[in-house]
Amino acid sequence: MTAVLIGRDLRKDYAVYGQLVHALRGASLEVSSGEYVAVAGPSGSGKSTLLQLIGGIDVPTSGTVEIMGTRLDTLSDSQLTRLRLTRLGFVFQRFHLLPVLTAQENVELPMAEAGVPRQERKARAQELLAYVGLEHRAAHRATQLSGGEMQRVAIARALANRPALLLADEPTGELDAGTGEGILELFRRLNHDGTTLVVVTHDENLAAEAGRAIHMRDGRICD
Amino acid sequence: MGAWVSGLQWSLQSLGRHPLRTVLSVAGIAISAAMLLDMVMLSGGIDRSFSEMLLAKGYQIRISPRGTLPFDTEATLGGAGGLVGTLRRDSAIESVAPILGTSLYGRINDSLVTLFGYGIQPEAQALYQLERGTDLTPDDSVGILLSGPASALLHADVGDTVNLVGRLDPQIAHAALMRRLVVRGMVRWIYDHREQPSVGTVLPVMQSLAQQPASDRVSLLLVKVRDDRAAPTVAARLKQELPRLQVYSVADLVSVFKRRLVYFRQLSYILGTMSLIVTVLLITTLLTITVNERLGEIATLRAIGISRTTVVRQVLFEGLALTLIGTVLGVLLGLGTARYLDGILTSFPGLPAAFSFFVPRAESLTTAGLVLLITGSLAGLYPAWLAARAPIAPILRAEAT
Repeated sequence: MTAVLIGRDLRKDYAVYGQLVHALRGASLEVSSGEYVAVAGPSGSGKSTLLQLIGGIDVPTSGTVEIMGTRLDTLSDSQLTRLRLTRLGFVFQRFHLLPVLTAQENVELPMAEAGVPRQERKARAQELLAYVGLEHRAAHRATQLSGGEMQRVAIARALANRPALLLADEPTGELDAGTGEGILELFRRLNHDGTTLVVVTHDENLAAEAGRAIHMRDGRICD
Repeated sequence: MGAWVSGLQWSLQSLGRHPLRTVLSVAGIAISAAMLLDMVMLSGGIDRSFSEMLLAKGYQIRISPRGTLPFDTEATLGGAGGLVGTLRRDSAIESVAPILGTSLYGRINDSLVTLFGYGIQPEAQALYQLERGTDLTPDDSVGILLSGPASALLHADVGDTVNLVGRLDPQIAHAALMRRLVVRGMVRWIYDHREQPSVGTVLPVMQSLAQQPASDRVSLLLVKVRDDRAAPTVAARLKQELPRLQVYSVADLVSVFKRRLVYFRQLSYILGTMSLIVTVLLITTLLTITVNERLGEIATLRAIGISRTTVVRQVLFEGLALTLIGTVLGVLLGLGTARYLDGILTSFPGLPAAFSFFVPRAESLTTAGLVLLITGSLAGLYPAWLAARAPIAPILRAEAT
């Protein structure tokens, strides 16, 4: 299997109110194409920081990240932005859809940024909304959607540019159990259809759903 | 173009998140835009309006007694007939209009009303526009033209007879000369101020009323040069040839007028600058607040791969959208307030009614609009910079807790 992601000895320190926080103390992981990996652990264990480093959102204090063979520390800021746009998909705990745009427009946004022609991106957005079961909500503003629907739109947005790796940070954290189960089902289907997933969660049930679970504690991977 | 339009649409939708705040900001920008437009119209309008008024009848040169401005004093120049004849023989000159301005009186029953009289040569008149009745003819020694206010004061209309009284003898407080004249027409005197009761007769009649027949005196000569482009050259030549008289081109008079009204220009610059500063502050403040409220959203956009350029463009579009809406409303408001302010300013004593301080022109609108749009766009630079440099990871960490 091809390695989609390789993180080597990742360390991250940052200051909070003048106090140095060692968020990651040397974490390494490798994710192969088609894998569904859960990164589990209690709050403050460093799992979200790990996700930000492997997603190129933050820069490690030391260590390296490779996405599809490209070392992120060799990229300029604009190249890194482009890589996040075209190779990675992000799903956040609080969805972070643009409230002034419709579900369809939110899904089209990354494609518009990537320069996908209008007709093509409209068709792709409709296809993705149908995939997450929201084709009937395409014309609704984000503010008119429920929490579960917003997260489904966020997942559709993350898939817009056909990413090699989908990264999700506590995707069910803001949802009730029933709605969260629907999102987990969607992730299972995505993985079954070939999407590589790394999901950060403090929910052991969600971690158990994944093909492989990595546990973190105090900035280190335990197992 | 597509990205541009959708960017603007997105901006408008973003601004619509806080409608009251946006409406108040747009109202502030519109008021500033109106003030800027008015000040642009004021700074250019004074010169333009005065210049147009001077050229209303096509006479480009004024000749008055040495050291005086036209109609600024009661000074007159003598030997007008000879001077007019000399000037009319000049091949570059098309027409010469001698004018005598003097104060006189109208008699109504036993009382007198004060009037201003113009003595003119009807074949070369440069002072009025006929509104009703007929014009004077060169040999009409019993005809008179009245302005609206003079007509009202004398209770006279076309065809009526009026009694004009020349200068009073200060020793006996008695009129030296009285003439009965028939009203031929109602006219609008171009250089009259509002409510100025002016009358006009042929030059010899007014000279006799002013008791200045012997020396053939006039207040002013207006000269029309055949070729407009040659007017400054002819004016310069006449200055050389007539050193004992004061020769003014239109540019000379505009320059004198500008010096007299320099405070209006300074006021317009100061208020125009202030309105621009207010616009910048309004837009910058609103967009900075908006960007700070949306840092989470901006960090998410950056995280999913939206470039700094797109984020910056989006914030600038919001500034542009605010400015565009504010400018459109401001233009309408500015035109309305200019009309109102012009009414107040032109009612100042001594100012010709035909003069305007605020002249709405396409170039004024374009200048004010462009300055505002550039300013509005620049005002978005700081909040755009804030948005572009928003640290993604710390903001997302803060959002998650």
